[in-house]
Amino acid sequence: MPPDAIVERPARPNNVQLTIDGTPVSVPQGTTIFDAARAHGISIPTLCHQQNENPVGVCRVCVVDVGQRVYAASCVRQAEPGMTVKTNTEPVVGVRKTLVELLMSDHPSPCARQQHSGDCELERLAAQAGLGQSRFPTRTTPRGHDDSSLAIQVDHESCILCDRCIRGCDDIRNNWVLARRGKGYQAGIAFDNNLPMGESSCVSCGECMVSCPTGALTNRGVVKSHLEGDTVDPTFLTGLPVFENVSGTFLGLNRNAIVERRFKAGEIICREGEFGATAFYIVDGMAEVYLASPIAHVKTEGGARGFLSKLTSLLTSRDEDGRNEESTRSYIPIDASVDLPYRSPIAELGPGELFGEMTCMSYYPRSATVRAKTDCTMLEMLRNVLDIMQRNKTFREQLDRTYKKRALDSHLRSVPVLAPLTADFIDHLREHVELLRFQPGQVICSQGEVADSFYLVRLGFVKVSQHRPGGDIVQAYLARGSYFGEMAFLTGTPRMATCTALDHVEVVRIPGDDFQLMLDRFPDIRRKLETESAEHVEQNRQRDAQVADVSMDQFLSQGLMEAQSLLILDLDRCTRCDQCVRACADAHDGVSRLIREGLRFDRYLVATSCRQCRDPLCMVGCPVGSIRRRNSLEVIIEDWCIGCGQCANNCPYGNINMHPFPVEIDDLLHPGRTVASVKVKATSCDLCLGHAEPSCVYACPHDAAHRVNPPEFFGGLLKRQKIAKQ
Amino acid sequence: MRIDQTHRTWFIGTMAGVLVAAVIYVPYTLTSPEGANGGTAVGLVYGSLASACMLFAGLLGARKKVPIWRIGRAQTWMRGHLWLGFVSFPLILFHSGFRFGIGLTRALMWLLVVVFASGIVGAILQHFMPRLTTERIPLETIYEQIGRVRLQLVAEAQTVIDEVSAALAGNVSQATAQQRAASASAGTMGGVTVASGLQVDEGASAQLQEFFRREMQPYVANGGSRGMPLADRSRSQSMFQQLRLLLPPNLHPAIEDLENICEEKRELDRQVQYHRILHGWLLVHIPASYALLLLGAVHAVMALRY
Amino acid sequence: MARRIRTTKNLAKRMDLQYFKKPHPLRRWRHWLSILVPLVAIGWFALQRANSQKIYSSGPLSAAHAVLGKQCNICHVTKLGFFRAAVSDDACAKCHDAPAHHPDKVTHKVSCASCHVEHRASPRLASTDDSSCTQCHANLLTRSGSSQFERVVKDFDKQHPEFAALRPGGTDPGQIKLNHYAHLRPNLAGPSGPVQMDCQDCHRLTAMNSSWPYSIPDSAPKPLPVAGRTDADMRHPRSRDYMSPILYVSQCAGCHVKDLQFDKRFDQAAPHDKPEAVQAFLVQKYSDYFATHPRALSEAVAPERILPGATISVNMNLPLPVPRTRQEWIDQQVMLADRLLFDKGCKLCHVMIEGNGSLPTVTKSSIPSRWFLHAEFSHDSHRLLTCTACHDRTPESRQTADILLPSIASCRSCHEDNGPQHDAASGRCSECHAYHDWIKEQPSKGNFTIPELRAAAFR
Repeated sequence: MPPDAIVERPARPNNVQLTIDGTPVSVPQGTTIFDAARAHGISIPTLCHQQNENPVGVCRVCVVDVGQRVYAASCVRQAEPGMTVKTNTEPVVGVRKTLVELLMSDHPSPCARQQHSGDCELERLAAQAGLGQSRFPTRTTPRGHDDSSLAIQVDHESCILCDRCIRGCDDIRNNWVLARRGKGYQAGIAFDNNLPMGESSCVSCGECMVSCPTGALTNRGVVKSHLEGDTVDPTFLTGLPVFENVSGTFLGLNRNAIVERRFKAGEIICREGEFGATAFYIVDGMAEVYLASPIAHVKTEGGARGFLSKLTSLLTSRDEDGRNEESTRSYIPIDASVDLPYRSPIAELGPGELFGEMTCMSYYPRSATVRAKTDCTMLEMLRNVLDIMQRNKTFREQLDRTYKKRALDSHLRSVPVLAPLTADFIDHLREHVELLRFQPGQVICSQGEVADSFYLVRLGFVKVSQHRPGGDIVQAYLARGSYFGEMAFLTGTPRMATCTALDHVEVVRIPGDDFQLMLDRFPDIRRKLETESAEHVEQNRQRDAQVADVSMDQFLSQGLMEAQSLLILDLDRCTRCDQCVRACADAHDGVSRLIREGLRFDRYLVATSCRQCRDPLCMVGCPVGSIRRRNSLEVIIEDWCIGCGQCANNCPYGNINMHPFPVEIDDLLHPGRTVASVKVKATSCDLCLGHAEPSCVYACPHDAAHRVNPPEFFGGLLKRQKIAKQ
Repeated sequence: MRIDQTHRTWFIGTMAGVLVAAVIYVPYTLTSPEGANGGTAVGLVYGSLASACMLFAGLLGARKKVPIWRIGRAQTWMRGHLWLGFVSFPLILFHSGFRFGIGLTRALMWLLVVVFASGIVGAILQHFMPRLTTERIPLETIYEQIGRVRLQLVAEAQTVIDEVSAALAGNVSQATAQQRAASASAGTMGGVTVASGLQVDEGASAQLQEFFRREMQPYVANGGSRGMPLADRSRSQSMFQQLRLLLPPNLHPAIEDLENICEEKRELDRQVQYHRILHGWLLVHIPASYALLLLGAVHAVMALRY
Repeated sequence: MARRIRTTKNLAKRMDLQYFKKPHPLRRWRHWLSILVPLVAIGWFALQRANSQKIYSSGPLSAAHAVLGKQCNICHVTKLGFFRAAVSDDACAKCHDAPAHHPDKVTHKVSCASCHVEHRASPRLASTDDSSCTQCHANLLTRSGSSQFERVVKDFDKQHPEFAALRPGGTDPGQIKLNHYAHLRPNLAGPSGPVQMDCQDCHRLTAMNSSWPYSIPDSAPKPLPVAGRTDADMRHPRSRDYMSPILYVSQCAGCHVKDLQFDKRFDQAAPHDKPEAVQAFLVQKYSDYFATHPRALSEAVAPERILPGATISVNMNLPLPVPRTRQEWIDQQVMLADRLLFDKGCKLCHVMIEGNGSLPTVTKSSIPSRWFLHAEFSHDSHRLLTCTACHDRTPESRQTADILLPSIASCRSCHEDNGPQHDAASGRCSECHAYHDWIKEQPSKGNFTIPELRAAAFR
């Protein structure tokens, strides 16, 4: 929206003489009455006007008696020679009181600002005027909230349409994001084309919020307000390129959401698996990022054999005790701009780089341990500041540049399918790829569209769903290192699924032409992609076939419909001998991935063991992408699990367990020494890979345990019940 | 394991085996001097067949120790255990010529009778006890974890009591938060009512606490608790009815929770009983069979020696 | 509505992930019992074993061997190191010389234990099961291929053949003329008046030590010594099982002494002896008479015997020459007495064969002392029966050749296979038949001392 007419300040130096409240006053020509009064110590209350903005005179609270037919808004009315201005007469005060009362009738009191800092200008005025309950009826149509931005909370209810924010955004910062929307009761401020603030092109400079007189735009504040470290001077921050053009006041408000931290060489900055809420920006120095968790799976010894021997859990690495069907990935994705090579999971980060974004934005656990390599200075920030930073144009450019320069290589190579890419082609891609950000819930590409790009997930989780006559079906959750959008190029059809950002997502977009070029240049890639997509299609077809027309409250409410494979125990046969649990533990190095407890369905106990859900919620949020679906249906957890417990929390059925085990890890402070520590690893049923039948079923002596496909198995049962009901 | 249609082959096979053994036994016992004798060739064949059967049956225990070895499905072993174990008894009778002998052989025969009888009892129990458990104990849990679950029930009840007391004391916000948290974690959607500005008997809270301290806590925390008022379902109902009279209607869901916790505890107690019945016979069967196999080996060696 | 909602997740969260590795009372009981019960069993076993090896016994020993119960190795001689201690025939032979049964005829040798099954608490180890016998006799195979015996004998009830003597053509080989009918008639002339004879007057068990009613008191022989193993036909007889042989002195003489009277001048009857002895006795008697009677030559007295109630004289067809010398007289008298005795008195019972011009000879009596050559019979065991209950033909028997042996039918009227189970007497083979050839038995020498047999704890 183009800016309103800007009042030109006359440049004439001639002074104007006038009287304000009986005091003779001389001001340069073109000075508003408001400014003139202010210059002479007379303060006129106002709402829509602010010193650093051009006056627009929309709130009319600053009315004064200029001896004419109507009272004038002092913020826009220029001083005229000989003018007699009365700012404080009874009629003026009465008019002001009525104006404030009218505004207050629309204003939720106390508003967010009043609640937090008690400095809502409207409410202050109301209080000064001694207003109690407004006599006017309140607005009945709600205008809503917008919580989509991480830094700024928008409460349209509290907005008094003063336009201060719009002027701040457009005139002061020249971001041109804010404008007005709607009319009548629905009038309000809008971001871009009335998008949620978080999805808009807002750069989180904070100017609008700083400008807002009420609780309509407030600082979201911080969840954790006591960060360790030294408070940073906002001016220092605004001096950094990544905070260029951000309101200093805004940064000042978020003073406790960003701290400066200094680390000695060798000091641990964050540990994998920990929960955190901050991201780190390296100002100076180098840091090492690596996985401290042994890449292994848990094994337990003792206990099962003797009654007296102590139970000990051990780790078995893949080298000692390889598991079949593991991924052939050579990179472990982490929450930083680099990936870790599988064989030696360590990498370096330098000044200007950011890590811990996912943790900060989506509260995922830390994906890796970071240690200062040299003495270094870092900015540790909470998500609102991170958001400010990430939205910053300079930062984005910098990030884009860094990514293309350093990470694109390893990112592309970490995708097994793309392994054949040659260096020169990657160089070619460098020029063309684009790093895109998406907010939670934002659609990246929709089903039925004509495909124009191929995407690689860099950050966050992407939900792939397909619209079906019976409702949407989630096909996959793609984590870092996954890719999507290839199918349409291979088959030449429109997009077959909708991809939506599940959290804060960053994807690498490879334009369609370049992708097509890649397919043409590297037939190996085409072949692999084709094989995989054929598998996907086949799986989808099978899954569709499984969705029989069974519907039953309990069946649905227990989520059985979601499951692809259930471990059920026929309770009429089961003697509760626990043989299944023992077998499971034996099959998995002493750690049972099955709990013989759960809800019943008919005469079956649906045991707590991975159901291989159609909608694998567990996969959402794994910071290192170690939980994944195999090409068939099993959900498996790879050895590089860092034990954060995210998947276990996500699983609605309690089928993933966090198994603690003691471990000796390298003492980071004293290289060469080890210290005892306790770590956890997630364990989940893997259907006993490589065996025709899971061990629990195989070991059931009473023919009670079965792994079944629920609609198939219960289909007959449900039909019988239906008939019985009729 | 339930014996059903799928056991047909085993049934026919073993019955045929017993029949053949019996058919051979009749002329054998009639023609041999002094009747059937373990030491004769036929007797030894019976004896070794029976001991092979018993050994196989005994190996089920070993098989269970290595559940993941792919050496036949456990249920196949179980079927073998049932049927071959069953066959071993007539075979041993044929082996011994229906005599009990003295000394070692008598001990062995008695052990066999004990093992066989307990096995039959166990097989019968396994036919109806699981179903009974399933029907009567909907709130069943893992037997080994009942103690742990009981403690958690106590904690849960304690939380409910605290909430109610807080609500009664007018501390609405605390109750609200806790109840919201509780209901959220339990997966409910709202439906939480909170007392506010209640006009209730001042002593209600104290009575509730007293009830918890004197009746519920000891009942839920300890296994068995036979003879405690809450162990009896109808008495429990009337006790909770009293509590309901004491409290305003909007706190009744909490009482229902408490009642439900007691109900769960009752079921857990019953589960303990049922589990003991269902698995108690093993305390006879397994040790006796070890003894049987051990002494049987001695018998085999010494009988072949003498 | 209650707010406790059970979901799979919160149910599962209640569990300890490692619970199944921790001991639980029931499982612990099972574990300890599984250790304890076998230990108790082994302990019990060891305790029993410490006392004796009897723990290995498969059953109580027979009554006769019970004394060996503490010393298994008396019979179970260890061979092959530890591993073999089965009883061999050698062990039995240490005490029992049991000559084999038709060793030259049987096709396969059987071990002692195959018939005499020990550890069955049998009261008599010797009385073996029929199956011991029928294992061969149910289908008798002999080396020569021929057999004088019935080839198929499986049971007593049906298949056992009739006793050999009673088969068609069988006669009593006895050469003593005896009419049982006549002897059992009433009012026979006894030594001192009329008598009614009874079977037992003549037929008694050898063991009976009472006087015979019809013996000659002074000359009555002492009861015969137990007819021992020297008698070839009487295999292993027991004095209470068999009847005493019929002897003239004890059973006949009481009545029949008068049949040996030869001259009324003499009280004394001729001896019951061979003709030569009788002849010598007569010569002696007459020589003595002539010496005491100088006028004997002139007494032309026909030799007459004076028998109670009757006068029998020699039928003199020929006029006798008058003796002239002493020798002639004696010869004549002896000749007359000979005629009286040999042609009449002896012939009453004996079959006499005329000797041409010399003394006759007496046919051997040939009375079978045992009828069953391959079986044993105990009269004593049957003493509750009257004699004629079995020997039913005896009161009517007029011929010596009549076989008065009861037929197998009469045995079967009481004896049956598995008799005791059917309120009948046993019909087992071993009731009558002995397997071993005891005649060949050699006396065995003792091998053990008392401590060897009875030492409390051995090994």
